[in-house]
Amino acid sequence: MRRLGVAFVLVWSLLPLYWALNISFQTNAQITSRPAHYVPSDPTLNNYRALLVGDGDLPAQIRQSAANIVIECGLATVVTVVLATLAAYAFARMRFRGRTLLLYSVLATMALPAYATLIPLYRLMSEAGLVNTYTAIVLVYVSGFLPVATWIMHNYMEALPVAIEEAAQVDGASRMQVLTRVVLPLAGPGIVSTTIITFLFAWGQFLFPLVLSSDISTQPLTVVITALQGRREVPYGLLSAAGVLAVTVPAVIAMTLNRYIVNGLLAGSVK
Amino acid sequence: MAQTHDTRPSSDRRPAPGKPAPSAAVRRRGPDLLPYALVAPLAVFIVGLAIVPAIYALTQAFFRVQVLDPPTRFNGVDNFTALADNAALVKSMVNTAAYVGIGVTLSTVIGIAMAMAVQRKFAGRSLVIAAMILPWALPGVVEGIVWLGIWDANVGLFNSALTTVGLVDQYQVFLGANRWLTILLIEIVQVWQIAPLSALLVLASLQNIPGELYEAAALDGCTAWSRFRRITLPLVRPGVAVAMVQALILTLNIFDQPYVLNGAAETGASLTMQTYFISFQNLDFGQGYALSLVITVATLVASFAVVKLVYRRVEY
Amino acid sequence: MVRSRAVRSMLVAGCVLALAACNGGSGSGEPLSAPTSNVTISVVLASNPPSKAALDAFTKETGITVKWTNVDWDSLQTKITAAVAAKTYFADATNVDWSRVGQLGKLNAFYPMEQLMDTAAMAADVPQLTSFTAGGHVVGIPYDASFSVTTINKNIYDKAGVAVPTTMDEYTQGLKAIKANGAVQYPLNIPFAAAEGLSTYWYQTTGAFGGTVLDDKYKPTFTDPGSPGYKAAQWMVDAVKQGLVPPGNINVSDTQGQQTLMAKGEVASTFSDYSGMIGSLYDDPASSSVVQQVRYLRTPGAAGPGPNNSNPDGVGVPRTAKYPKAAAIFIKWFTSAENQADWAGINGVDKAIKGYPLPSHVSAVEQLASKGQLIGGKELAEMLKTSSRPIFPGGAPSWYPEFSRTVYTSLHSAAAGEMTVDAAIKAIADTANRLSAGG
Repeated sequence: MRRLGVAFVLVWSLLPLYWALNISFQTNAQITSRPAHYVPSDPTLNNYRALLVGDGDLPAQIRQSAANIVIECGLATVVTVVLATLAAYAFARMRFRGRTLLLYSVLATMALPAYATLIPLYRLMSEAGLVNTYTAIVLVYVSGFLPVATWIMHNYMEALPVAIEEAAQVDGASRMQVLTRVVLPLAGPGIVSTTIITFLFAWGQFLFPLVLSSDISTQPLTVVITALQGRREVPYGLLSAAGVLAVTVPAVIAMTLNRYIVNGLLAGSVK
Repeated sequence: MAQTHDTRPSSDRRPAPGKPAPSAAVRRRGPDLLPYALVAPLAVFIVGLAIVPAIYALTQAFFRVQVLDPPTRFNGVDNFTALADNAALVKSMVNTAAYVGIGVTLSTVIGIAMAMAVQRKFAGRSLVIAAMILPWALPGVVEGIVWLGIWDANVGLFNSALTTVGLVDQYQVFLGANRWLTILLIEIVQVWQIAPLSALLVLASLQNIPGELYEAAALDGCTAWSRFRRITLPLVRPGVAVAMVQALILTLNIFDQPYVLNGAAETGASLTMQTYFISFQNLDFGQGYALSLVITVATLVASFAVVKLVYRRVEY
Repeated sequence: MVRSRAVRSMLVAGCVLALAACNGGSGSGEPLSAPTSNVTISVVLASNPPSKAALDAFTKETGITVKWTNVDWDSLQTKITAAVAAKTYFADATNVDWSRVGQLGKLNAFYPMEQLMDTAAMAADVPQLTSFTAGGHVVGIPYDASFSVTTINKNIYDKAGVAVPTTMDEYTQGLKAIKANGAVQYPLNIPFAAAEGLSTYWYQTTGAFGGTVLDDKYKPTFTDPGSPGYKAAQWMVDAVKQGLVPPGNINVSDTQGQQTLMAKGEVASTFSDYSGMIGSLYDDPASSSVVQQVRYLRTPGAAGPGPNNSNPDGVGVPRTAKYPKAAAIFIKWFTSAENQADWAGINGVDKAIKGYPLPSHVSAVEQLASKGQLIGGKELAEMLKTSSRPIFPGGAPSWYPEFSRTVYTSLHSAAAGEMTVDAAIKAIADTANRLSAGG
């Protein structure tokens, strides 16, 4: 029974990804043949070569946009996690006027559809002269992911035992000292989880970077990949190869750090 | 800045029983500023970059905002009545209800099934869990590319596989032929992405269930099914409730999957697709914002309802 | 306290927004007097760039550096709309699709090109320029000459013993003969996915039946069952019911149909295909198994050769551009006859732009054809000169996107059997009437 369940989990989760991988090693002529090639009959690296090798236009764009996505996601993640941790500590351990209102307002922003805030945010960034800068993209990411990150950290910290912090306070530590010396080390795994989850969320973004970046100096990989479909052709093989590239980093993270993702997601949701 | 307001214990923290309140001496009167300092950066971001734009957008719902035909002026609930008269929108509403119904059900069922599959320890379990969360971790644009290669009527894996095993003798049409089949197939793609999280949430609740409960039930001669009905299901309710809420929010806002797999066709168009059409193609931002407001309110109300109906705090 | 703090920061942010609303984005100085040399302009198009050598030569000649960004067509339209709505700069030159000419013209979102360059002198050699005129202004310059054209797989026709058709009747009978003969099971490719390609197909079929879909006041002309538009819709849906169209086409877009059906020899013909497809796809052995089998056909109309609808891509200068004059210099260079011939590959593949369909200058097309550099060049040049015509003589209406969406969703539903042709026609007409009355 369990074997059957495990088999289902593996097939359901991996088969679609296997298929993209399979297609990425085929030419367009092979991809459109009937029936399909279940394994690449004559595997070609041409799709990957077109994306990665040489100093042509496309490889240069892929390289630049890969650097962009790492920088944007990295910066956004750092800022988000730092701010979320500070705020979560206050929410979890202190009572202050407006606490509940603020916490629920933060969480409620998650219910907003993206298209509702796109134009006002674009205008705001344009007025601040920030369109087509890393700053604009990072600011929008931070505001978008802070609610989830704060919620995860809040739940994580609330579950930590209070006794150790109180002992430290009795020993004369200030509350900021308690935070930096006692809480942060204890919350380490939660911080790692929040970091990974925020990074993965940021990696998947498309609409906001599409509008907020004007050219290759700030476009992330996800936007450049989508631009591969021409108006008069859909290069299935090239798109699949590009998709595989975009998946590599999240997949490696998911495979190696899954323990943290699991813990973080659970802290973020079960309350 | 934080160092200046130090050492005051927060007034809310109840001292542990039997211990005196730590350093109870109040050195300064006045409000405790530390919590405000800690939440201020968060508040600036959320207010400035989420709440203000949202308020701006949502108040526009009560204005006539047509870029093609200015000026902008207040028009009460006209945008909402215009939406109610929009036949395509009404169809999209039904479609979205179907997405939500199928998506919430399927992701919960598959989530429970996957969680139970990895509930107990076995060799390679963490790898299986890693594979399980993989679809959740992927960017949405890749998801579209991946599934187009599966459902496509001319080159898709699904067709090819059915022909190879001899279930059909020529390629069939799956997406677009029949409204409900189309919706089901599109929603499967979304479930692929959201079910991992449901599974994890259920798994967390499962692991809180004490093993003795099952042992006792086994002693009483309960069948596996009745153990599932009587023990597992009631006790995983908190996890299931949260899983359902996340599925609900995501399915209510479904956009990429129908747009990539089924175009603008009325057989699969969702509400958020209509906000895109109304705002970005018709350039009627007032109506677009009105629809966004409706979706936001629906999301909040439905989430609240699920929590009320399904969530129960569990005492073991 | 926190409340007042929140209120204050909300007010601050609100002021910024209000400022944004008032200011309208037009920032620094008078852009028309911005320098035209030693500047870098941003060009955003749904197209691959010319070769680096070509762009470098342009920089050397003019002192203008071009930063080229390729965005897929759908995403680009979202970007343009967002930029127009937020009155924000994002490019000095960008896409003006023929279908958005009315909308962008009415928004006054682009500079009238006649103020930036001599468009009158261009008109004779660029027949599709008329598709880019709205309200008396030229909104963009076509940089290619895509138009709808019938393609047939000659091998399949020969195999089935069917002669090359010249009228709509012959064409339809021919398809039935091919099906009966068994050369292919489903001979006709119609992309019935609810997307722009389906609208384009209907306009072209309507043209073949001898009419247009909207009159010059943008009122529908297809409501009468005897009208060309009605007959065209009926013909398309009947083709599905009679088994002439692969059933899978209900969800196949134009590009998918070309790649997975025409290029694989699964179908014998696409009634409304695009000019340039033979060269860019059907004769490319890497993607096609029908190399040298596909031919362009003069549109088999109800009474002899019918028209070819234009659907070219254009490039224009947004009002928010930083260097409009430099952008105009670039556009002049990019759309010139000799450069277009290069983009189409007259001087070898190194100078060509991958996926470039066909020059918009007739002289460039003729040059390519005479050098034998353009597959089907003779036919294409002839059609471009004599029978290509805009879909809307007065330019696409400002409400075109909404109209077209009704067209393709309704025709899709009719083909799927969810509504009758009559109901689909009525839905399209209602939308057109409402929009043309309001706009």
